[in-house]
Amino acid sequence: MDEEVDFDVIIIGCGMAGMACAAQLLKEGVEGDRILVVDRGEPIGAKNLSGGILWGRELDELEDIFPNWEMDNPGIERYINHKKIGFLSSEDAFIMEGKFASWDGIGGTEEPSMRTGWSVLRAKTDSWFAEKLEEAGVFIMPGIKIDQLHIDGLDHTSYTARDLTSPADDAGKGAAQKWRIDNADPEIINAIREGRICGIVQDGEVMTSNVVVIAEGSNSILTRSYAFDSMLHAQSRHGIILGVKEVIHLGEDVINSRFGCFSGDDERPPSGMAMEAALAIYDDMAEKAWAEYPVTAGQVPRAGGWLYTNRDTLSIGVVIQLDSLPSGIHTYDMLEAYKSHPAIAPLISGGETVEYGAHLVPEYGLNRMPDRLVRDGAVVIGDAAGLVYSNGAVIQGQNYSIHSGKLAAKVIAKCIESGDFSKKSLGQYKKDLDASYVMRDLKRFKTTAKFLADDANYTWVPKFMGKMFNRVVREIGEEKITVEKQALRLRKEMRRKDKKTKKGMGLLNLLRLGMMGRKL
Amino acid sequence: MSEKTKLGLFEYDVKNGLGLISYNVDEHEHAHIIVDTKKCGDCDSMMCVWGCPAQCYMFRDVGLDEMKFQYEDCVECGTCFLMCTDGALSWNHPRGGFGITYAYG
Ligand SMILES: Cc1cc2nc3c(=O)[nH]c(=O)nc-3n(C[C@H](O)[C@H](O)[C@H](O)COP(=O)(O)OP(=O)(O)OC[C@H]3O[C@@H](n4cnc5c(N)ncnc54)[C@H](O)[C@@H]3O)c2cc1C
Ligand code: SF4
Ligand code: SF4
Repeated sequence: MDEEVDFDVIIIGCGMAGMACAAQLLKEGVEGDRILVVDRGEPIGAKNLSGGILWGRELDELEDIFPNWEMDNPGIERYINHKKIGFLSSEDAFIMEGKFASWDGIGGTEEPSMRTGWSVLRAKTDSWFAEKLEEAGVFIMPGIKIDQLHIDGLDHTSYTARDLTSPADDAGKGAAQKWRIDNADPEIINAIREGRICGIVQDGEVMTSNVVVIAEGSNSILTRSYAFDSMLHAQSRHGIILGVKEVIHLGEDVINSRFGCFSGDDERPPSGMAMEAALAIYDDMAEKAWAEYPVTAGQVPRAGGWLYTNRDTLSIGVVIQLDSLPSGIHTYDMLEAYKSHPAIAPLISGGETVEYGAHLVPEYGLNRMPDRLVRDGAVVIGDAAGLVYSNGAVIQGQNYSIHSGKLAAKVIAKCIESGDFSKKSLGQYKKDLDASYVMRDLKRFKTTAKFLADDANYTWVPKFMGKMFNRVVREIGEEKITVEKQALRLRKEMRRKDKKTKKGMGLLNLLRLGMMGRKL
Repeated sequence: MSEKTKLGLFEYDVKNGLGLISYNVDEHEHAHIIVDTKKCGDCDSMMCVWGCPAQCYMFRDVGLDEMKFQYEDCVECGTCFLMCTDGALSWNHPRGGFGITYAYG
């Protein structure tokens, strides 16, 4: 082992990925005082926001470091046994729901009995994880933002962090975009892009390590600055969604009765509900916006809404695909419109908003991951590596982040034994990731991103679902017809409305959607 | 419902929500986002304005002729950096210890 370095491993970011990586390193036998975790939030978790449901039992393997996490972590709010998926249009709401006894995890069911989803509040979960890591001997430094990595042989004062992130004076647009660093001495540029990473720079001071783990989340400035990803790539808004969220206090009793939740006991936290919906509720806003700002006329805002129950609060928000947002619509107005939808308003009524926030999700999947995840002396994990899967009904990012952190830790522990921290040795992490369920999921569901980016899901599909259900179940004195006939009739009617719907509901398009839908 | 619901045709004052977050605002010389507002003059789409969930960018949407940016209410989401394709933005996180503190997240 190289005794001259300050730490074996420095982890930047104590979110889901970073904390899991630190915990797994401990499990692999790396001493706590050889691990440093730095995070810009103070306390840890202060900068973090998710929807959020933590899916999967990834934390079980880390039970040694996070004992009794399900009950003791104050940010793990309710386990989910009640799931709703909906289609909301301006007039209707068509919501499917399932309540599953096997998700209670107390046995006696035909399906595997397991609790596998929890509503979480990240400011609280993350500070608990950090506390436990600290108890296990890991160095945790909150309130520290890293904006330069230490590169072997490169004087870090030869460039500044601003050079990495500021457009150059002769900056072009799009593919010709230039950053200040692009005008630096080629030798410096080459060192930044290809040199061996061996520590971090903090306030002009260097702290060295054998490996730097970049777990910085979705605003992956270091990942782009140090050329794991190209700047152009990283600045694209395609495949990125913005989540705008409120936490609304309702009180535990109101939540239990309003959502039919179990109130918890010694072994289980209280139970809860998770709902996601495709939204076709922005017609009026869009039409007004298109008239005022013709520059993006015709662009349909593609968004989904969610509502999750926490212990005594609700998490409610919208996720907006940034490449679909037209000029003329403020993102916060989209959240307000969702909150005032007739199917949603009664669920939050009487509540008091206690927090507002927003965060990006790199939902691009395989279509746009960073070019590489490993360099000499460094690896990228979690959201910074683009490891998020979403199919509209769920977002899975936290479990993937945890898994990537664990995989990286296992490889790093081996590298510490062998003393070889080259990209070749660390590259085993990428291989393990490729072989894991994370990348297998992302590969299998590669078309999902396309499906999610289809306007149909935010225009006629939710409307069609609402209207169909309405007509099939109502009794207003009209002659009854079969579901099939009703569907054909409705399609014909809707296609008459405008050109776009006509095309969208054309046979070929339906077939195409169906093909993609089958692969979800 | 007899009348078509006009959803979202209102101006929501997002400052209500922002008032609930605790901030430790850094001095101007350390502003984490710098906007070269000279470049905004011919920008038709003003995507920063529409994308920003904290109304840090104010321009023609509120009747101004010139871009007015303030970083103080920023929730550090990174949207504006992705939305501006004119190279007007230098974006970074606030310095350690500054900016927002979520209590729930
Ligand atoms: C609205 C929304 C809803 C979501 N819903 C879900 C859901 O229901 N289920 C799910 O599984 N996932 C969900 N996700 C995704 C999930 O939140 C992320 O995938 C997950 O948090 C990623 O973990 P991470 O550790 O990679 O990044 P983060 O959790 O973002 O952690 C990154 C950490 O790095 C720190 N940091 C960043 N830069 C620096 C720096 N330069 N120096 C020091 N520290 C730094 C930050 O302070 C932060 O603590 C959602 C995300 C959003 C935004
Ligand atoms: S998108 Fe860029 S150029 Fe356009 S107004 Fe915003 S900051 Fe200025
Ligand atoms: S980072 Fe987000 S909140 Fe801050 S100014 Fe940009 S868009 Fe607004």
